[in-house]
Amino acid sequence: MPRFDTLDSAWMVWDGPAPAPGGAVLEQTRELEKFLAEIERRAFRMAQVALRDPDDALDVVQDAMLKLARNYATKPCAEWRPLFYRILENGIRDLQRRRSVRKRFMTWLPGPKEDPDNEAQDPLENVADTGPAAPERLMQDQAMQRLEISLRELPARQREAFMLRNFEGLDVAETATAMGCSQGSVKTHYSRAVHTLREQLGEVW
Amino acid sequence: MSEHTTELRQAALEERSRALFDQSVEQIDMAARSRLTQARYAALAAVDGSRRHAWFLRAALWRPAAGVTAAAVLGVALWFGTPLGHHGVLSADTQTNLEDLDIVASSDESSGDALEMLQDDIDFYAWADKAASAEPAA
Repeated sequence: MPRFDTLDSAWMVWDGPAPAPGGAVLEQTRELEKFLAEIERRAFRMAQVALRDPDDALDVVQDAMLKLARNYATKPCAEWRPLFYRILENGIRDLQRRRSVRKRFMTWLPGPKEDPDNEAQDPLENVADTGPAAPERLMQDQAMQRLEISLRELPARQREAFMLRNFEGLDVAETATAMGCSQGSVKTHYSRAVHTLREQLGEVW
Repeated sequence: MSEHTTELRQAALEERSRALFDQSVEQIDMAARSRLTQARYAALAAVDGSRRHAWFLRAALWRPAAGVTAAAVLGVALWFGTPLGHHGVLSADTQTNLEDLDIVASSDESSGDALEMLQDDIDFYAWADKAASAEPAA
């Protein structure tokens, strides 16, 4: 028969962490809402860079939010960020895998094939913008497009390491938790990603 | 190329890419923002739902244990709370007293009411009781 020093330890064995008192639960929910509000747009953009499709990106982010809330809401707030990005990256990888399987299957079927040069391109992107776009804004948009293209060309692990470390500001340990690998691997992936991006984007970017 | 220059270029790349990313986050359209807000509320609702579910699960698990405990307590209370205090075993004295009480209390057609008989000859029974208790000593 195990002995429990505290009630909390008994609860941990019985059914996870002990239930927080009413006020603490409310506080925790507020903290979670704050965290999700801070992170949702950045997570959406990261998913969009990886998946290209905004609808898919929204689905993946929503799924990650739900999983975090259902399974890890009782964890300390400091652990939410790496956990969230781990769920998100897993979701992105799953979707990319499903896409590649579907693509392989579709090549066997008759009918119009996808144009690799025009894949998932929004037709509205080709429509001329009649609005008064500031030259600076235009240049920034073009620079971001080039960055996105270069990021997509990176191996998935390098892209993840670069985005988590540089865009999200996660430290090496948090990135390792989010990616599910060692800290040494994170450093290697990040270093290679930076090297490749510098070569692809050039000096003038 | 010196190591210092490489580091500077790397830092510049990191800074510029971060700034561009931050800017692109600010430019997310309203439709996407709205859907993200809805997703957030759905996630928060799921937290409440999972908490209620966990409470219900715990209650459901405790319920049979609580029932068994209550039944055990009731059984113990009935066992030790009865007037006799002991069950199944009656001492010889208790048995005799009960038989005497039964004889005295019972009514017989031929002999009349036993209690009435006791009242009529109360002096005789008092003497018989004294004599009976004095006899073994002699």
